[in-house]
Amino acid sequence: MQPQPTTAPAPPAATATPPVIQLTGIEKVYQTSTIETVALSNVNLSINRGEFVSVMGPSGCGKSTLLSLMGLLDEPSGGTIAIDGRPVGSYSDKELAGLRNHKIGFVFQSYHLINDLSVRDNVELPLLYRPGIGGSERRRRALAALDKVGLTARTGHFPAQLSGGQRQRVAIARALVGEPEIILADEPTGNLDSVMGEEIMDLLLGLNRAQGTTLVMVTHDEQQALKTGRLVRFFDGRQVA
Amino acid sequence: MIRHIFTLMWNRRRANGLLVLEIFLAYVVLFAVGTIGSSLWENYRQPLGFRFDNVWQVNFLPGTQPKAEALGTLQQVLARLRATPGVLGVAVTASNTPFSFNDSRTAIDFADRPGGPKRPINNINSYAVGPELRDVMGLEVTKGRWFDQRDAVAGSHPPLVIDEQMQRAMFPTGESALGKLLTLNKDKQWRIIGVVRAYRTDGELKEPLPAIFGPIAPADTLFLPQSLLVRVAPGSGAALEKRLADDIRRIGPGWTSTIRTLDEMHSSQLKQVITRPLLLSVMSIFLLLNVALGLFGVLWLAISARRAELGVRRALGAPAGAIARLIVGETLALTTFGLVLGLLVAVQFPLLGALGERTSVYLTAIALAAGALYLLATICALYPSRLAAGIRPAVALREE
Ligand SMILES: Nc1ncnc2c1ncn2[C@@H]1O[C@H](COP(=O)(O)OP(=O)(O)OP(=O)(O)O)[C@@H](O)[C@H]1O
Ligand SMILES: [Mg+2]
Repeated sequence: MQPQPTTAPAPPAATATPPVIQLTGIEKVYQTSTIETVALSNVNLSINRGEFVSVMGPSGCGKSTLLSLMGLLDEPSGGTIAIDGRPVGSYSDKELAGLRNHKIGFVFQSYHLINDLSVRDNVELPLLYRPGIGGSERRRRALAALDKVGLTARTGHFPAQLSGGQRQRVAIARALVGEPEIILADEPTGNLDSVMGEEIMDLLLGLNRAQGTTLVMVTHDEQQALKTGRLVRFFDGRQVA
Repeated sequence: MIRHIFTLMWNRRRANGLLVLEIFLAYVVLFAVGTIGSSLWENYRQPLGFRFDNVWQVNFLPGTQPKAEALGTLQQVLARLRATPGVLGVAVTASNTPFSFNDSRTAIDFADRPGGPKRPINNINSYAVGPELRDVMGLEVTKGRWFDQRDAVAGSHPPLVIDEQMQRAMFPTGESALGKLLTLNKDKQWRIIGVVRAYRTDGELKEPLPAIFGPIAPADTLFLPQSLLVRVAPGSGAALEKRLADDIRRIGPGWTSTIRTLDEMHSSQLKQVITRPLLLSVMSIFLLLNVALGLFGVLWLAISARRAELGVRRALGAPAGAIARLIVGETLALTTFGLVLGLLVAVQFPLLGALGERTSVYLTAIALAAGALYLLATICALYPSRLAAGIRPAVALREE
């Protein structure tokens, strides 16, 4: 299978449209009382509109950290992050929240579903923070997203009543529901069997192809990585390929 | 968002149960304090009906003097006091003078009177007073007339003056009581000749009771009043007091007297009446403080237990304000639940007419307590909600 035709052609960085996400000289240091961990060191990375990028590397090399910075969940210790060419340092809290809500869909490595909410309410959550979407519309979209990940039979369940793989699919549905321009997925198929993993992978590829969704995916699966447009490798906090 | 809050509350009902209980208890305490407070306020707002500045109360004991003689001596004393410079008026009265803690209560059974209220009127303050009382105490006659010479020549029915509260109790529909006959003590009939605004000798903080006034005529030989109310010129002091006491001792063989100003009696009565509610209020303030701290603590704990959840919400695009609103909204919704439970208890009081308090007082207390409860809950939720709003989305990555 050829990976190239499945992705939309990425415009070269030099064109007028700036990269959707641009990391320049990114450092991330985790400070605890006893030790200091350098999670990322001098990372320069541009993600262009419509790209599907996979990130690989050994455990602890900083992949999740990278994704959380791209998803505006955390701030770098150094360097700048620009979204659509504008450095995020200049955004207010409200604007950042708006970006996280409208522009980005995030699939956490450990799902992070809200235990007190049913599957459907969990998936609706991003829409709750979008003004102007009524309850029935939220429900409709949530059910549609759950349908895409094959979980229509479990909408009234609570996360504690689901298997690991089912939770992962709920987390994916939650990232899809707002139809974001960018999806950042941290090992989205890590807990799925190969058939289900394949289906989710096809779903992501389909989004990339049909809707031009920009995707950054952390994976340990070489086969999956080969299907994406670009592969970035990390080792010990540095980009090595 | 509101539906989301209720969904969340329902799903967390077990954890929220404690909070609702806490809020319910807070409401009950607030309702109790509110009832005491609004009862006192309701009483305080009613007109007292008399002026007590520059009025002295003179109590005397006729010693061993026989009653028939003492009546004559009293007339001499009265004449003497009235002629004293600085004395503006003297009224005889039974011992239930203002702020004296003495009272004389009666009840009237109206069951036999056609057209009147079927239920009896209990707890009527009954005053035997001389006709001078109106001027000495500045009573305001609102209908009919006060006692005067005409009463001395009147026919079979002795005259009676009532206050407005009594008028309302007798005729809730507003019919005038003037000219009506009133049977007291099952035998004698009295004719109502006038209505005064009020004469609340129990003081401004006690519940106003209906009052009736019967005259003590100068020629009365049955009843020897042992109290006088004396209006003196402003600025009168110890010199006049000594002179009055000396005169009484000189005219009445073996008579002794005590003189106190109503001002002074008023303050000591006020102190005594206010002590219990004040103590209760102080206790309930501590109780409420306790409840507030509990509420605050439970909310704070809830926030720390929900850091991951709130971080996820932030990560999914909730602005800080939405998180704060979520916490305050949840707290207020829970407050409403606790309030509904509390209301179920509170409305029993006016419904059952328990404790004999007025319905209006209960209703005021119910409303006040509800307002105070929301205020308390909002204040308690404010800081935790700010804490919650300050949770950064990165928290979602770490907690679990
Ligand atoms: N909140 C934190 N505090 C301190 N150190 C952290 C924190 N988060 C991550 N680290 C450290 O930063 C480094 C990179 O972590 P990260 O989670 O990005 O790795 P990863 O590549 O996603 O690993 P994995 O493949 O196991 O998920 C690790 O050494 C980790 O211990
Ligand atoms: Mg990771």
